[in-house]
Amino acid sequence: MSLRKLRRLGLEPELVDRLERHKKLSSCQDILVKVHLELQHLTNLNHSDVQKIVTATSRACAPTPTTALQMKQAGLSSGSAPFFSTSLPGLDQALHGGIPAGSVTEIAGPAGCGKTQFCIMLSVLATLPCEMGGLGGAVVYIDTESAFSAERLVEVAQDRCPHHFSNDDAFYKLTSQVYVHKTPTCSDLWNRLQSLEEELIEKRVRLVVLDSVASVVRKEFDNSLRGNLAQRVKLLAKEAALLKYLAESLNIPIIVTNQITTRFKASWEGPHVLSGDIDAGNGAGASAAVDGGYVTAALGNTWSHSVNTRLIVQYLDDKYREVMVAKSPIAPFSSFVYTIQSSGIVLQDDERIWKSSERVATDPGLIPIKVRTMLGQGGGLVVP
Amino acid sequence: MSRHVGSYPLPPYLKTKLLAGGFSTVEDLEDLKPVELSKELKISPEEALEILRVVQGVQNDASSPSSSDEAVKTALDLLQEERHQGCIITFCSALDELLGGGVPLTKITEFCGAPGVGKTQMGMQLAIDVQIPCVFGGLGGEAVYVDTEGSFMVHRLEDMAKAAVEHCRHIATVENNREQLEAMSDFTVEHILSRIHFYRVHDWVELVALINILPEFLQQHPKIRLVVMDSIAFPFRHDFEDLSLRTRLLNGLAQNCIRLADSHKAAVVLVNQMTTKMGHSGDGQAHLVPALGESWGHASTIRVLLFWEAGYRYARLYKSPTREEATVPYQVTMAGIRDVCIPNSTQDVTSDMSQEEGTSHGDHSQRKRPRVS
Repeated sequence: MSLRKLRRLGLEPELVDRLERHKKLSSCQDILVKVHLELQHLTNLNHSDVQKIVTATSRACAPTPTTALQMKQAGLSSGSAPFFSTSLPGLDQALHGGIPAGSVTEIAGPAGCGKTQFCIMLSVLATLPCEMGGLGGAVVYIDTESAFSAERLVEVAQDRCPHHFSNDDAFYKLTSQVYVHKTPTCSDLWNRLQSLEEELIEKRVRLVVLDSVASVVRKEFDNSLRGNLAQRVKLLAKEAALLKYLAESLNIPIIVTNQITTRFKASWEGPHVLSGDIDAGNGAGASAAVDGGYVTAALGNTWSHSVNTRLIVQYLDDKYREVMVAKSPIAPFSSFVYTIQSSGIVLQDDERIWKSSERVATDPGLIPIKVRTMLGQGGGLVVP
Repeated sequence: MSRHVGSYPLPPYLKTKLLAGGFSTVEDLEDLKPVELSKELKISPEEALEILRVVQGVQNDASSPSSSDEAVKTALDLLQEERHQGCIITFCSALDELLGGGVPLTKITEFCGAPGVGKTQMGMQLAIDVQIPCVFGGLGGEAVYVDTEGSFMVHRLEDMAKAAVEHCRHIATVENNREQLEAMSDFTVEHILSRIHFYRVHDWVELVALINILPEFLQQHPKIRLVVMDSIAFPFRHDFEDLSLRTRLLNGLAQNCIRLADSHKAAVVLVNQMTTKMGHSGDGQAHLVPALGESWGHASTIRVLLFWEAGYRYARLYKSPTREEATVPYQVTMAGIRDVCIPNSTQDVTSDMSQEEGTSHGDHSQRKRPRVS
């Protein structure tokens, strides 16, 4: 919109020509960036004429208004569901129906907690027809860690919906509709995102999964080097803006996964927030017991602003994990216990388990996350 | 055709002084300022001003300074205006107290806070509250919601609208006020949704363009009393190589918003994000501060910081020309922004709080404000 050429605005052709040729002003952005006085100088016109040009340019660039009622009616009549059911009843209810379409949802958590499992399960569900609660379309899965497993996809499909996936045909349909892209570097990822729009339209994609956005960024940017932090924040903000744009214009849900980091300092309350992050890496030894530090979602404050919904997964003990709705414009803070089984994620309703998860709502950028310290030795959960 | 000064309705002693000073026609008095004339004729400045006024007034000089005096307002006029001006309530009485009745019209109010603290919720709540009918003490206006982040969800707005309608209906039924009950027919969820004008802005160029044409839009819809920008920070935080350009654009935006707020008697609410600022507080730690830099702090008249502490949400007023800095708790419920009932307090404290609320509501008693739970 902002790069719209002046030519198409209906201004006088000689004026447009003159501007383009001599002053290099050819798009709306060039006009709106300049001060009135500058424009008068460049166009050699008086104040009211310049005002007319600016108004015409603004009118062309500004978005068209709609009312909230029209939006609601458009949503009802468009046929595409406003929410993508996760098939986890408690979570769906808290989220008003499921993962919202047209926005970016983030799943953050420690290694091995179930983020990729969640993504694989949602990919299966997205390919199911709408009558079964799916999105009836293709899935684009952007994999930065090479964690995607087609075998697991098939296993989840088989165990979750045995009726539907009862013959080879159904499996064929499922697997041919999930498009996996491996993007091991930041530039690969950025290029892939930029060319995504055409692919989404062409292949009728109804869900985009990016697993994970944190790994490439943390590999390539070293926060201790000067300027790197600013660059990283900029890149993430650009990616977030692009993902949001795609989600909204095509009205599809986009899921992004994130890692964890350790923050230092005893009190994590109040408006004073603390030291810069230290990358905790992805290993199981990510102990949070570093002098009163605690583990939380990675990528910093600006990224936390950029995602619309944030789900945090964490360990409760060796077998049970928990998913929390940490940030959502539509759902209150809530948490659910689950386990990972062959059919994917399964919620647990057991009363006993609830007691061990006393959650207090707080800043979604600062929620402490429990990690697993010892592998399968039946002990030691580090609670910050 | 210049008139003789003697033909003007001036006191005779001034006429003699003029003639003695060598001023015989109107042209001789052209381009003369009162102080100069008073020095030359040795008369007081007021008399000189009177002479010039009479002479130039009769000539019907449209560009004389006297005609622009009507545009100047005295503080008395402003005081009367301010008293009658409404505020937009937030349904959280503690927050309304903090702001002196609610979000004021003709001013820019900024809400900044960490992610997830409720800034979008606040914007949506205000967009509903501005529509509360006048008989309930509201403004009965419409709202413009400019979304730059994509966090606006119609379903959430619907929930909040339903709660607001219920609230008002409850009051109307309890007080059995015929006017209020009649007003309810125009205050339904559908009506509320239809009176919120929504713009989705994708980058800063669109935002600049939109603010340029908003005055026109507001003129076409004179009932608009609120413009919410959620958020002003997002489009300016990435993709900006030239920081001085950013500062210039933000200043221009701020000026336009101020003009908009003033000329259309609307409230402008800006939602800002937070950014991390490294180690200045003496202990070398990084702090969260409002985004967009120090110079942006001058743009808004009123600044409210929203933050989390010990599991509760708080609002702190830290810039206001009329109210004292204070911090109050609030919560975000299914129904929207509401007060918090602190659970651990003793009976005395709660009764104290309600007493305080009672007395402080006294000055706003001329308006019937809906009671908040």
